[in-house]
Amino acid sequence: MNPIVLFFHKTGSPPWFYRFSGYLIPWLWAIFLVITAIALYLGFFHAPVDYQQGATVRIMYLHVPAAWMSMMIYGLMAIMGFIALVWRIRIMEVLVIASAPVGAAFTMMALMTGSLWGRPMWGTYWVWDARLTSELVLLFLYFGVIALYNSFDEPRKAARAASLMSIVGAINLPIIYFSVEWWNTLHQGSSFGGDGPGIHPDMLLPLLLMAISTKFFYGANLLSRARLILLKQDHRKRWVQDLLSQEKH
Amino acid sequence: MSYTPFIMAAYLLSTAVLLWAALAPVIKKRSLLRQLKARQQRMDKTQ
Repeated sequence: MNPIVLFFHKTGSPPWFYRFSGYLIPWLWAIFLVITAIALYLGFFHAPVDYQQGATVRIMYLHVPAAWMSMMIYGLMAIMGFIALVWRIRIMEVLVIASAPVGAAFTMMALMTGSLWGRPMWGTYWVWDARLTSELVLLFLYFGVIALYNSFDEPRKAARAASLMSIVGAINLPIIYFSVEWWNTLHQGSSFGGDGPGIHPDMLLPLLLMAISTKFFYGANLLSRARLILLKQDHRKRWVQDLLSQEKH
Repeated sequence: MSYTPFIMAAYLLSTAVLLWAALAPVIKKRSLLRQLKARQQRMDKTQ
């Protein structure tokens, strides 16, 4: 068999996925912790404060990676949801559902840190600005996917409905991204590339490290949640029974 | 205006959110495994 097809068949098998992800998770957590520690050290002790925003710029090391993750995870959910619906790959359905709470957590984090950054800089915790409002809509979309999945008794039907909602909701992603260009917003435009204000390399490095470390957080958390969903769905199947007997001895 | 409370609040809230996200599946898995093991033991006894 073609090695790529074989790989997809293997990863699509719940027992194999459960075992493989079990080996992977501790490594992902370890890498996340190491990179985060380095990034925070550089962000707090090496990077300068901003000449206009002062020390509040340190909130950027949380806010920007969290906002990037909130969009990236929803985008991945839409892609995985599409694959799940078209090719009926069960692991993809599980990954869509497992991604939603992680994405919601990052969206909440982006909104909270943004609000705490906005108060000293803009003089308010919240404005109904296009960027902030579209990010809040994203949080509701995550909640919608989770609620829709939990409203069905049959898990596969639930996962398909949630996958469909993930695809439909992806329309919000370009709205979030371009909101600062399409409308007059209090939120600043991108600091990266184009006409952006640019960013000092000493600030850029911890920011990029945080952006990388959050990917490892997502990976570890996603796999933990996917394993839990598989255990719940397959608890009457042979591989789970075998797993339980192995743990007993 | 001191910025420290805003920075500290941002880091504390983010830590709380990420800790919740990380620990929730671990706690739920432990409880599920306990339930499944108890059920398996009950079934073993009845057989």
